[in-house]
Amino acid sequence: MLQQGLYAALTIVLGVGVFLAYFWGANWILDRALASNARMPHALAQRRDNLRSRIRPWLFLAPALIFLLVYLVYPVFETFRLSLYDRLGQDFVGPDNYTWAIHDATFWQAALNNLGWLVIVPALSTIFGLLIAVLADRVWWGGLGKTLVFTPMAISFVGAAVIWRFVYAYRGPDMPQIGILNAFVTWLGYPPQPWMQLTYVNSLLLMVILIWIQTGFAMVILSAALRGIPGETIEAARIDGASEVQIFFTIMIPQIAGTILVVWTTITIIVLKVFDIVYAMTNGENDTQVLANLMYRWTFISGDTGRGSAIAIVLMLAVLPVMIWNIRRFRAAEGTH
Amino acid sequence: MKRLLLTGASAAAVIFGGAAFVSAQDLAFPIGEGAFSWESLEAFTAAHTDLAGQTLTIWSPWNNEGDAAQWESVWRYFEQATGIDVQSGSSPNYEEQARIDIAAGSPPNILILPQPGLLADFAAQGALTPLGPETAQWIEDNYAAGASWAALGQFAGPDGTVQQYGLPYKQEVKSLVWYSPDNFAEMGYEVPTTMEELYALQDQIVADGGTPWCIGIESGGATGWPATDWIEDLMLRNYPPEVYDQWVTNEIPFNDPRVVDVIDQFGAIVKNDQMVAGGTAAVAGTAFGDSPLGLFTVPPQCYLHRQASFIASFFPEGTVAGEDYDFFYLPPFESKDLGNPVLGSGNIVTIARDSPAARAFVEFLETPIAHEIWMAAPNSAFLSAHMGANPEVYSSQALRDQGQILLNATTFRFDGSDLMPGPIGAGAFWTGMVDFVNGASAQQVADQIQAAWDALR
Amino acid sequence: MATIAPELPLERARSAPRRLARIRPGRIVVHLALLFFVVLWTLPTAGLLISSFREPDQLAVSGWWTALAPATIREAARLPVAEAQVEENGVYVIRGSVLEPGSNRTIETFGTTNATLGDTPAGGTATVRVGGEITLESDGAFVWTSPTPFTHTTGPRVYYAAELQPRATFENYATVLTANGVGRSFINSMTVALPATIISVMVAAFAAYALAWMRFRGRTFFVVSVVALMVVPLQLALIPVLRLYNEVGSVLGIPGKGYFGVWLAHIAFGLPLAVYLLRNYIVGLPREIMESARMDGASHFQIFTSLVLPLSIPALASIAIFQFLWIWNDLLVALVFLGAQDDHVVLTGRLIDLLGTMGEDWNLLTAGAFISIVVPLLVFFGLQRYFVRGLLAGSVK
Repeated sequence: MLQQGLYAALTIVLGVGVFLAYFWGANWILDRALASNARMPHALAQRRDNLRSRIRPWLFLAPALIFLLVYLVYPVFETFRLSLYDRLGQDFVGPDNYTWAIHDATFWQAALNNLGWLVIVPALSTIFGLLIAVLADRVWWGGLGKTLVFTPMAISFVGAAVIWRFVYAYRGPDMPQIGILNAFVTWLGYPPQPWMQLTYVNSLLLMVILIWIQTGFAMVILSAALRGIPGETIEAARIDGASEVQIFFTIMIPQIAGTILVVWTTITIIVLKVFDIVYAMTNGENDTQVLANLMYRWTFISGDTGRGSAIAIVLMLAVLPVMIWNIRRFRAAEGTH
Repeated sequence: MKRLLLTGASAAAVIFGGAAFVSAQDLAFPIGEGAFSWESLEAFTAAHTDLAGQTLTIWSPWNNEGDAAQWESVWRYFEQATGIDVQSGSSPNYEEQARIDIAAGSPPNILILPQPGLLADFAAQGALTPLGPETAQWIEDNYAAGASWAALGQFAGPDGTVQQYGLPYKQEVKSLVWYSPDNFAEMGYEVPTTMEELYALQDQIVADGGTPWCIGIESGGATGWPATDWIEDLMLRNYPPEVYDQWVTNEIPFNDPRVVDVIDQFGAIVKNDQMVAGGTAAVAGTAFGDSPLGLFTVPPQCYLHRQASFIASFFPEGTVAGEDYDFFYLPPFESKDLGNPVLGSGNIVTIARDSPAARAFVEFLETPIAHEIWMAAPNSAFLSAHMGANPEVYSSQALRDQGQILLNATTFRFDGSDLMPGPIGAGAFWTGMVDFVNGASAQQVADQIQAAWDALR
Repeated sequence: MATIAPELPLERARSAPRRLARIRPGRIVVHLALLFFVVLWTLPTAGLLISSFREPDQLAVSGWWTALAPATIREAARLPVAEAQVEENGVYVIRGSVLEPGSNRTIETFGTTNATLGDTPAGGTATVRVGGEITLESDGAFVWTSPTPFTHTTGPRVYYAAELQPRATFENYATVLTANGVGRSFINSMTVALPATIISVMVAAFAAYALAWMRFRGRTFFVVSVVALMVVPLQLALIPVLRLYNEVGSVLGIPGKGYFGVWLAHIAFGLPLAVYLLRNYIVGLPREIMESARMDGASHFQIFTSLVLPLSIPALASIAIFQFLWIWNDLLVALVFLGAQDDHVVLTGRLIDLLGTMGEDWNLLTAGAFISIVVPLLVFFGLQRYFVRGLLAGSVK
């Protein structure tokens, strides 16, 4: 095993070295091959400068582009192709899979659930993350508090699934409750509820799990952004007599508005893809189905790559509004760039 | 920072290296001792002398540590006999992984799955290698009720011809009801020999203030499957086996009144809060492995648990078969006169990437010794229909009795949900039963499942 | 938008009593509010932590909060078979104990049937169905006497109610840590996570810089595409990429599955988020630095390596943490591209195997989950200081 440890160390050095060599080497070659200096005719130097500036971005981008093309773009095209084929991927069936989806009740149920997730989870995660970040920055034990709130992100999904199973567990009314939510409910005097089987409530309870995890993410990023607000601005406002709440809304939020948007966007996209939680807790039963889980069911359990792929494409199209919004923001930012 | 992490990794390597498990090359049972059929191993070894140094990859459903260890004890003999290096793997999502590997072109040599429906898909895609008519004949000759077992491993290939692709191995008996002999003796209950007696016993238990059944159908992505076993067992006890066969292949529709009636019979038990521990609401949320624990609580939460033979490995540690728990065969209706039907299932061994080592491995599994090793493993849940395997080596009397049921059934049928195509047997049927338990009517559920059959293409 | 923020100490003039008065009740509210959130967030995890120290058979029977106080438990024990009897003064006696030495149970009442469990206090005597009488003490020791020889073949059960003292056990942790292959899997997980994280961050940094500050045609298109690619579900890529690996592998004569493939896969899957977050950060850095450096004739490469990278260390550290976390906790990608063969399986996979086919060993998973979390938490603590310094703050000199 020591051998394996050394092997790992060696590979790290090698792998990192390869990439370092690429980045430094490529840029160095560019600079040498298209060198321009004061002794050249001005036009030539100018041309070479331009050429260097035009080529260099591609050097920077190349590795990332290749990775993304091979591992993400190609599968998307492949998925789109499969969505036009039959169950085993052998016969072309055109838009049949999509028309099937439009007429499938489970598909709409899943889509509506996803909508619910999209409205609730990113908003609440961002709000809680911001709140906790603001609060934690003001107390001496804020670092510890932030670490504890961040811990759910560090627990694997398997661990999270076990934790929440035990929170929502249900036993018959005459048996001792092992789930903390039902223990609380019975302590209040009400009968225990089979939470994962109550429609609407179960989806909300599942959303709680993702909020629990993602708030840590939002908190970390927003906390950093808050640190970036100049102290003088806040001091000045305080001197002018503004209350903390007013400062929060009129100064802090506008200053970090960009980051809030980034956080919200990222969590939205994560929520679109939510799969593990629903799979582990209810597997989509009792109206908790979501698109990613449905896609998984069709592709891997039923072995129907056509339908599974169609659902996947629909899922990815759902990100269009987010993309359009981001484009607008970039264009606006471009103006000042 | 990097250096710190690296040092940490190396330190961990040293620490764990010391505590690491050194895989035992020792065989579970020394060759030549015990009531095993060692001569079959000798014959096998003698016939396969030119395979040393080759590699064999196996993908199996046995991801649980206990099962995996017992499975390993079997193929160690193969390794020792042939000199082939065996790499066996599994994971909780083994079906998904199998699909991925086959679709991506990196299949294992040997693929073992408990779902004939999934294997039928693979065979139709041309991903499996036919085992040949000799294997089919061998199964018919050497397994009890051999023709049925051989049929389980026969699928249509890419050109439509049906061939022998699979060898059944590690079977299970499903028509069993588990109970606590102590609790029965205390309350004066007798083991029922007819279904009518079982119903009377149920009512007696309720009258005495207890709860008869523990039923839990939760199973992650497979939630609902224990309920499908109930329906299949009841189908076999209400109608002749031909009706069962027609039902499984959809020759009669799923919402045939006879099927709906059977679902209602199950409903009479599972939808009655007094009949099920925890009430009906707990059924869909209780894990199938947790539900039999109610047999062992003080006072008992239930007295009866209908489940396949493997469930014994979920019982509390330290409980002893025959003393703390026992089983009886789920009885038939006396009034219907349909003999002794038994519901069972099995794993099927197939070749997903042909090689001489793979062929040799299939032949190895045909030897009695390959069955006896697992039959004799402590805490084994392994049953075999191999008539050449010596039943004396079963590690417990309970196992021996189950094996006897396997060999003596008048009617033997395989788990219907395993036989039905994937989207039904591992999809609509499961979810339909969950809906049923959660309140839908038998007719609704049957219609739903029939609609899924119709939507199949 | 972020701006430069030299960290000014925020000192309050103590001479403003009105401000002080306003702060104190406010402070308490802040403390309480934060406490509320932290407790709410930590409660579920705390439950799991406590459960990991409980005895295995308790987990499915009672909630973890009951583990903190003594509880009453009902159990049954089996008495010995007839062969264990000895004859003393014409009476046949069987002795023994129903509890193990050092047990945390104290028997309060007992009985010889389920129904009579509460009838006889410890120290008393009850009649046994198969013959004789039994006296059971509160420490579990019993004396079972009968005037005629015992003839039973299966020992009957005695039922008791006992008080259970809370006791933490390390049994779960011990089982997981010494389980077959855990050490190996630990190394495997490290081998997968470390290189992938480091290279990931590097590739993303270069790309993010190009997308932030270099001018070229189609820049907006690429930025937006990166956002869009974040939505691609992982499962989609598994089969096409594995098929590609296998094909390439068969051409080169090497197996399609292996560490190299896993690294590349993890790097690629984590890129969109990393590039998105990093680009956003770099865009927020002050333009003036870059402009003045360009004036001085520095190339983008020089600006990147000598200015932007050092300024971005907080962001890089943050991305590194997220990436490491995600890879360490991942199971699916490792299973698909590395395999589940015994010597390749990563830690998460090993822990799930201990869980049993569908969870009959919850207690092992609770311990396993915490063992698995140790490394990410260590990484998090190690890079903490970069974290809290911030993704968007920077200091310029």
